[in-house]
Amino acid sequence: MSRWAKFLIAVLLGAAAGLFYGWVVNPVEYVDIAPESLREDYKTDYVLMVGEAYQAEHDLGLAVRRLAMLGSSVPSDIVANALSYALQHEYAYQDLSLLQLLGEALLTWNPNLEVPTP
Amino acid sequence: MKNDRRGSWYLLTGAVLGVALGLIYSWVISPVEYVDAPPYALRADFKDEYRALVAAAYLYSNDLLRAEDRLAQLKDDETAQTVAMQAQRALAEGHPEGEVSALGILAMALGDGVVPVASSVPSTQKMINTTTASASTSTPIIQQPPASPDLTQQASPTLVSTPSAPQLTNTLKPASTATSTPAQGAAFLLQETKLLCNLDQTQPLIMVEIQDAAEQPVPSIELVVIWDGGEDHFFTGLKPELSLGYADFLMTPGVVYSLRLVDGGQTVNDLTAAECLSDDGSRYWGSWILTFIQT
Repeated sequence: MSRWAKFLIAVLLGAAAGLFYGWVVNPVEYVDIAPESLREDYKTDYVLMVGEAYQAEHDLGLAVRRLAMLGSSVPSDIVANALSYALQHEYAYQDLSLLQLLGEALLTWNPNLEVPTP
Repeated sequence: MKNDRRGSWYLLTGAVLGVALGLIYSWVISPVEYVDAPPYALRADFKDEYRALVAAAYLYSNDLLRAEDRLAQLKDDETAQTVAMQAQRALAEGHPEGEVSALGILAMALGDGVVPVASSVPSTQKMINTTTASASTSTPIIQQPPASPDLTQQASPTLVSTPSAPQLTNTLKPASTATSTPAQGAAFLLQETKLLCNLDQTQPLIMVEIQDAAEQPVPSIELVVIWDGGEDHFFTGLKPELSLGYADFLMTPGVVYSLRLVDGGQTVNDLTAAECLSDDGSRYWGSWILTFIQT
């Protein structure tokens, strides 16, 4: 076997070792993630909490700001996705209602009427 | 001979190069992506937002088990204490009153299982499939402790000399036991007043411990101390390492203070720095320990 072939084999073995170390042994750790990286069920529960809080606080602007933590999508789309997941996974009727109420409220939300928070 | 030695080196060079390429690819070009992360991996400020949201949702649902399940996802060491401390931070940082209140209520509920009084409010709700149905929702009513000006009375301090520096947690325990368990909103009454003489703590403090009827410490209670020409406010729970119901205030010797709970309770008058006598005859400042218990 030529030197170049041995060299390439060494490179490949080293690369395999590097990938194994980087992906398995010591992968990049995201310890400071944002809510938008949450798993779908956690995201849905997050939206459900926003819906519950909205029923207690009746502050749509606050609900929108909380939903904005889940990404740059339109708030009503975030709620629609959560509602879809909740329906698929047979959430309790009351939880579905809360999501539905939040979604309906967001349809009437006008960001231009928002009072800036100091 | 020379060529053989070169052979081993170029193989090592190749392996090192390969490892470097592998690490660059796995750490930089295509790192592991956490798209399905759990809440405990959230950044600290997002965790705070998450807890505040759990508390706000709890105010609506009154579902303590659900709130506990949600908070458990954050994997905090001491859930109740973490929520109480966040309530204190939120208060100190001027967060909205609703957020502070929700966190405080949830912290109390987590601490001793107290659930806010709920009332059923029926509402008509429409499902996504446009079927109409009614669902029962609950709205918590937070009862504040009523102001009790009639309860104002002068404290009758009892001098207790403890020069051997007792443990603070022991000295804060009330001598008597509250046996009643009234509804939320009952006033806090002064249960015990004593002077702590501790050579390890020679600053004249007013130490307050506030407990509910079950003798559990109560955080987020605002106290006001008034003296001739001034007043100051302080809160329980800012030193959770001592007790969630603990708060203290540094007195100026010679000044006479009155202390009361802002949201009702007994007023303690004529509090002033008192001296203690050590074994060698020297004098030092003692601290007043006031224990309030919800009746």
